Amino acid sequence: MSISTQGGEQHRPNVVKVGGKPAAGAKPATGGGAKTPPKGVKGGPKKPITPVKVNQGRNWGPIAMFAAVGLIAVGIIGWGAWAAFRPGGAGYDWETRANAIDGITHVTTELKSNHTYNPEKYDQNPPVGGTHSYVWQQCMGDVYEAPIPNEHAVHSLEHGAVWITYRKDLPADQVAALAAKVEGKEMMLMSPVENLDKPISLQAWSYQLKVDNASDSRIDDFIGALRVNATQEPGATCQGGNTATGDKPLNEQQVAALTQQQQG
Amino acid sequence: MTDVGNSPRFSTRGLALSVALAVLVGLAIGFGVTRLAAPATPADDSAAAGFARDMSSHHAQAVAMAMIAAKKGNAHEVRVLGEDIALTQQAQIGIMGQWLRDWSLNINSDAKPMAWMPDGDKSLTNGNLMPGMATSQEMTALENATGKDVDRLFLEMMIKHHLGGVHMVDAVLTQTDDPDVLWLAKGMKARQQLEISEMQKLQTTLAKR
Repeated sequence: MSISTQGGEQHRPNVVKVGGKPAAGAKPATGGGAKTPPKGVKGGPKKPITPVKVNQGRNWGPIAMFAAVGLIAVGIIGWGAWAAFRPGGAGYDWETRANAIDGITHVTTELKSNHTYNPEKYDQNPPVGGTHSYVWQQCMGDVYEAPIPNEHAVHSLEHGAVWITYRKDLPADQVAALAAKVEGKEMMLMSPVENLDKPISLQAWSYQLKVDNASDSRIDDFIGALRVNATQEPGATCQGGNTATGDKPLNEQQVAALTQQQQG
Repeated sequence: MTDVGNSPRFSTRGLALSVALAVLVGLAIGFGVTRLAAPATPADDSAAAGFARDMSSHHAQAVAMAMIAAKKGNAHEVRVLGEDIALTQQAQIGIMGQWLRDWSLNINSDAKPMAWMPDGDKSLTNGNLMPGMATSQEMTALENATGKDVDRLFLEMMIKHHLGGVHMVDAVLTQTDDPDVLWLAKGMKARQQLEISEMQKLQTTLAKR
């Protein structure tokens, strides 16, 4: 900040000049001293201030006070403006990334989330959502070596899991490559599926991608975009749940027995 | 600055100008201070982001173990400890997930587990498992255990899991200055170290019971 003083020959004290031009709206002097001061000198003897210093009339007290109060006030406004308009905070745009995957299917019709003990028919194979069992299939990086009931797997998708499925004739080395993407990683599960029209199919809630080979880079794209992000229940978990394989969901007695067993 | 006067007054023009200038400087200070107070958020490959992702996975397995202990633990001490660890660590998973949202980062990463840690790849066991993590065989054994075996297996596995967790916390403490990360990481370390000594005492107590 630079505050230069008015020319000394004027002998006008307390003229604070910033830059060369008067501020808009500055009023001409009214009254004032005998000599005509530059425009903008407030006239009148309203605020006679006793000069503090003998040799000069610049009164730094009020200036400092105005400056300090002004800086603090505007600083607070600046703080608020930054807080209100700062960028970021919107989270990660996983949907754009998912929909950019070549060949991905996104089911946009309503997928029901209600619970049942009965076997369900699904529009997709494997399913990507809809009515499902009360119990989810455990999806703590579980690699199931036999088919699992759709009704439990769909509940895992609802929680945000990515379900990797493969046709039984997929070569063992490709099965191992897929399993390596799953093991030890929560919100992932894998199982073989009967009657699959492609060697490999990936599912997240409302999303599906079918590929021919485990080395297809779109597999990692699918997992990266949708694991956890596609959840219908933010904060839901994969621990607990059903760990049995089979083609029929647990019935009510079996679910009761499962929870009974867990209670010890 | 050498002006000498005898009629101390304020110049309206000068005052307006200085107010305008003060406004500009004040705005600059306000923006500047808040930018400094809220510096650039951690990058995708930062230790803070890697820690948030990997510790979430690490915690998820601890929650799975602790839920088994809470439901099937033979000793009441084990059931209470299991409940405490499960609820605490699940809440911490939520906190870490929100950091990533705040930083506009994906919860998923192409990086291998522990890539954010110096020599992190060497700390992986049994393939991709982070320090202290149980294998799927160990988890199945705990799920299928009954009676006192639940307590014994749980305490062994959770002590190992906590030791690995503290190791990961130590790594992030030296690599980030994010106040939220430091706060939670320090809290994890203190709590898990306390629980390790509690669990070791409990092992002695239960062996005599």
